[in-house]
Amino acid sequence: MADLDAVDAAPTTGTPATSAGSTWTVAEQELRDLWLSGRGVAMLLAYTVLLSITTYLIATNQELNFLEQREAVSLTLQLAVAVGGLLVVLVAADAVSGERERGTLESLLLTPAPRRSIIIGKGIAAISLWIGAFALAVPYIWWIGRDVGTFGVAFVGGLVVGTLLALALTGIGLLISTFSQSNGLSLALSFVVLLALYVPHQMPAEATRGWAGELVLKLDPFSAGLLYLERLIVNSHSLSQDLGLLVVPALCAVGLPAVALLVGGRLSLLPRSGS
Amino acid sequence: MAAIEGPAGLAGSPSRVSPLPAIEAHALRRSYRDHVAVSSVDFTVGRGTVLGLLGPNGAGKTTLIRMLSTLLEPDSGSFEIAGLPRTETRRIRQCIGVLPESPGYPRWQTCQEWLTYHARLYGASRRDARATALRLLGEVGLGERAESLIAGLSRGMRQRLGIARSLVNEPVVVFLDEPTLGLDPHGQQQVLDLVTRIAGERGATVVLSAHVLAEVEQACDHVIILNRGHIVADGTVAGVVRRAAAPRRGVVRVPPHLRTHAFDVLAAQGLVADRTGNGHRDEVELRLPGDEPPEESTSAALRCLLDAGVPVLGLSLEGGRLSDAFLAVTQGDGNG
Repeated sequence: MADLDAVDAAPTTGTPATSAGSTWTVAEQELRDLWLSGRGVAMLLAYTVLLSITTYLIATNQELNFLEQREAVSLTLQLAVAVGGLLVVLVAADAVSGERERGTLESLLLTPAPRRSIIIGKGIAAISLWIGAFALAVPYIWWIGRDVGTFGVAFVGGLVVGTLLALALTGIGLLISTFSQSNGLSLALSFVVLLALYVPHQMPAEATRGWAGELVLKLDPFSAGLLYLERLIVNSHSLSQDLGLLVVPALCAVGLPAVALLVGGRLSLLPRSGS
Repeated sequence: MAAIEGPAGLAGSPSRVSPLPAIEAHALRRSYRDHVAVSSVDFTVGRGTVLGLLGPNGAGKTTLIRMLSTLLEPDSGSFEIAGLPRTETRRIRQCIGVLPESPGYPRWQTCQEWLTYHARLYGASRRDARATALRLLGEVGLGERAESLIAGLSRGMRQRLGIARSLVNEPVVVFLDEPTLGLDPHGQQQVLDLVTRIAGERGATVVLSAHVLAEVEQACDHVIILNRGHIVADGTVAGVVRRAAAPRRGVVRVPPHLRTHAFDVLAAQGLVADRTGNGHRDEVELRLPGDEPPEESTSAALRCLLDAGVPVLGLSLEGGRLSDAFLAVTQGDGNG
C-alpha cells in the first residue's frame, strides 16, 4: 500500500531517465560546455601553435640533416600524444572538483541521473579533446613524413596509442578530481602525475638499458606507448611486432576508467561548512 | 514527534493526492567528525504545507536539508519522502526539487539551455524539456530572459532561475535553502510570492530555510526551529510563538487628557499593565497574557475604550512575534 501511494507521488515531467539517457545528456552538455564555451578551442589553439613551432624546428633540422625524417615524424607524433594527453588530463581533473568549486555539482547530484552516468559523460568530453588534438596533428605528420611513406603506420599507431593513453589519463584525472578538496589541487596533482609518467621516457639511454630499465619502460604506460611509436616509425617495425609494449597502456586504458567509475558511483558533495 | 499537517485544500493537485505525509523523519542524526550537526530530529510534514525551517547559523538546517534531499547520508535514523524510504535515492530525487544554499550557475549558458538540460536529466524528452523550461521561466518572471546568458542576470533573477530549476520535475516536495539571502526587499518579496504560489498552485510541500523571520511569518504555515542540531520548537507560527512564551507588549495611544480615564476603564477589566506609559502622556500599556492570542486581548481592550467613549489614536503590538519566540528558544547559546 505504502509503495503504491509512493508511486502516486511520481513527478509528471517524464519517466525517470535511463542510465544511457542520462549519460548522453551529461556528455552532450559537457561537450557543449567544453567546445561552445571556447575552452576546448582555446586549448587546441595553444596546442596547434606548439605543434607548428615544433614542426618548423624539426623540419629545419631535417634540412640540415640533424634529424632523420622518420625520427622527425616520431618526435612530432610523440609530442602530439604527450600534449594531447596533457589537455585530456587537465579537462578530466577539472570535471568534478571544478564543478564542486563553482557550486554547480550540487544541482547535478540532486538530479536522478546516476553518478556513473555523470562520470562517463564528463569522461567522454575529456576524450573528445584527444580526438580533436589528434585530428589537428594529422596534417603535420603527413607533411613531415610525406617522403618516407610512414604516414599510414604513424596514423594508426598514433591513434591507437594516443587513445589508450587518453583513456588512462581520463581515468586518472577523474579519480583525482573526485577525491580533491580543491580544483587547484586536482589540476596540480594531475599535472605532476603526467610528468611522473613522462619521466622514464625522457631518461638517458644508459639509464634504461638492462632488464630493470626495460621493465620500467614497459610498466610505465606513457613510456611504453611512446616507445612503441618510436619503434614503429623509426625502426620500421610492424604494427604487431611490439604489441607487448601496449599491454600496460591497454590495461591502464581499461582499468583506470573502471576504477574512476567505481569510485564515481559514490560521488558525493564534499561537506564544506555544513550548517 | 512533530506532526505538521497541510492546510485543507492545499493537499496537492488531484492526481497527486495521497494519504502519506510529504516528509517523515525519525531520529535523524548526522555528525562531522566530532561535531554533531543534527541529532534526534523527528518530524512529519503534511502535503501542501509551507514549512519554515529556522535556526541560528550552524543549527543544522543545511545538513538536515542535504540529508532529506539524499546528498548526505544520515549516521542513523530514517526518513521518507512522499512515502519513499531514504534508500530509494533515485526515486526520491525524481520527486523533489531543491534550491541549494549557495547554488552555482554555469555563467555562459542561457537560462533556457540550463533549465532544458536539467529537465532532460529528469527524463523529459528534448522537446518537453524545452517547453518546460520556457513555461517555468515565464512563471518566475524570466520569460523575456530565456535567451540571456546566466552571467548577465542579477542575483535576484538567478535565485528565481534556481527556483525554476527546482520545479523542472514537478516535485512533490521543494526544499529552498535560504532563497532570499542577499536579495533586496523587492527581490525577497518576489521570491516569497513564488514560494506561496508553489504550495498554493502546485500543491507541493515547501521546506523554506530562512534567516529573516518576517519572511517565514509571511510565507509559512508551520515552523521548525533548530538549535545545535535539535528541534527546540515546532508547530504553527502562532503556536510556536505562544508556546515559547515570548514576552509581549501592547500599547494604545489615546488623547493625553483622557489617558487617566482610559487607564481606569482598562484597569477595571484587568487589561492594563503599566500606569506610567513609559513617560508618554498619551500611551497606556496593555497586559497581554501569554496563554491567549494577542488579538483577543487587544480586541477586548479596544472594545472597552470605545464603549467608554475614549477615542483610540493608535495601537501597537510589540513582542509576541516569531522573532521573539526564536530568540526565546535559542538565546543564551552563543550562536550568531
